Amino acid sequence: MDSHYDVVVVGAGPAGAATARFAAQAGLRVLLLDKKGELGTPVQCSGAVSANALAECGVPVSAEFVVEPVYGFKVYASGGQALPIDYRDKGLTEPLGYVVDRKRFDRFLTRLAIAAGAELWLKSRAVGLERAGGWAILAVERFGQRQQVTARVVVGADGVMSQVGLMAGLRSPVPPRDLASCLQYIVEGVETSGLLEVVVGRAHAPGGYAWIFPKGPGMAEVGLGVTRDLGHDARWHLERFMSESFMRARFARARIVEVQGGGVPLAAAHKHMAADNLILVGDAARQVNPITGGGIHTALRSGRMAGQFLGQALPAAPAASRATLKGYHDLWHAELGHALAELYQMKTAIFAEADPDRQDAALYQTLSSYFLPDSRFKRV
Amino acid sequence: MPPRQPVTFSVVWPACIQCGACVAVCLQRETFISPFDTIAVDTPCRIACMYCADVCPTSAITHQVVAGAPEGGGQP
Repeated sequence: MDSHYDVVVVGAGPAGAATARFAAQAGLRVLLLDKKGELGTPVQCSGAVSANALAECGVPVSAEFVVEPVYGFKVYASGGQALPIDYRDKGLTEPLGYVVDRKRFDRFLTRLAIAAGAELWLKSRAVGLERAGGWAILAVERFGQRQQVTARVVVGADGVMSQVGLMAGLRSPVPPRDLASCLQYIVEGVETSGLLEVVVGRAHAPGGYAWIFPKGPGMAEVGLGVTRDLGHDARWHLERFMSESFMRARFARARIVEVQGGGVPLAAAHKHMAADNLILVGDAARQVNPITGGGIHTALRSGRMAGQFLGQALPAAPAASRATLKGYHDLWHAELGHALAELYQMKTAIFAEADPDRQDAALYQTLSSYFLPDSRFKRV
Repeated sequence: MPPRQPVTFSVVWPACIQCGACVAVCLQRETFISPFDTIAVDTPCRIACMYCADVCPTSAITHQVVAGAPEGGGQP
C-alpha cells in the first residue's frame, strides 16, 4: 500500500474532520486517523453549536446528530436572578443553534471528509514523528501494529492532550489556572425549554460556570467547569450544585443516566501553530472560546481554514516549511485569533478580581452581554 | 505543598472518565501518557507538581513517593 500522503490528520474530531474534508476537497491526498474505534467517545463536551457555525463551515443540519434545537440563553447570577435571552421573543423561528450528539456529530463530519476523498483509519494512534528529506514521517500503531506513513504535512488535531504537538515541540502544557475541569451528568427528570442555561458564581463553580442544557425529550445536561481548586474536584462541586444551590428543587427528581467530562483549555491560543511539515488545529492549538469554553465552532472554522489553506499552499510550495505553513497561523489570527485573544484578556481580568461578589458580577455581566443579539462577539 | 520527591501515579480506573485534563496540564516535555489517555502510571515522575491530580474532575489520580529516589528539583 502506498503510504505517502499530502496531508495526514491526527484526530477525527470536528477540527480534524473539517481539515481533512477541505484539504481533500481541494484535491490533496489526505489520510485522517483516529485512535478510537468509535469517534467522539468518550464524550468530553456539552455539544452546543450555533447554526451559524454549521452554515459557515458547510455542515448541513441533520437529524442524525441534532438532539435538540436551541433558541436562546438564560444566564443566572449567583443568587438565582436570571436574564432570559429567548430569541423566539424577538421573532426568531429557526433555531439559533443545536445541542448535538457528539458521537453522531463527529461521525457525520468524518463522513463528509470521506465523501470529499479523505481516507480514514480508525484504531490508529500516532506514536512518533520525525522529519527527513522534506517529509514528515509519522509512526502509527494501527490495531497495535506499528507502521509508517509519510506526509508533506501532519495536522495535529488530537485535542487538548495533543501528543502530536508535544512530539513536534509546539505544545506547552495548559496552565492549571486556564484549564477548566468539567463534569456533566446526562439526567432524566429535569425540565428544559430550548434554552442554554448558564449559572455563574464562585459558590457554584469557582473559576468557571455551571450549565443546564436541553438534551432531547425528557433529558438534560447538568454540568460545570471549575479551574484549579485545591480543595474539591468538579464532581464535589456538581453534587453540591445539584443538592444545595438555589436550583436544588429543580434537580429533586433528576436521575443520572450518563457521566461525562472534559478538560477545556480556557487559555490563550498557541503562539506557534506551525512548524516544518506540521500544523495544529482545534483544542490541540487551544482554539477555544475562553469565555464560554465553546470549542466546536472554533474547531470547525479553524479546520476549514487549515484545509483550504493547505489546498492552496501545498501545490504551489516547493517545501512544506514552517515559513510556508505560518500562512495558516497568520490567517487564523486575522480571522479568529484576535477576537479570542481579546476574550482571553476579558476572562483573565474577571477571574483576577479578588472580591468574590465583584468577580461574580463581572462574569454575569460579561456572559449576559455576550449572548445578546447585538454582541460584537456574536460569531465567535 | 506538592511532594518534591519523584512519584509514581496510580489511576483509580473505575473513577476515571478519560477526560484528558491530567495530560493537558502535564509539564513533562516528552510523551507521558497511558494507553487509556491518562498520565503515565508505570513511570516515575520527577517533576511531581501534582497538577494532574489537582485538575482531575473525579479525584481519580493518586501517587506514591518513589522510595529512595533523589529529589526531582522541578526538572523532568
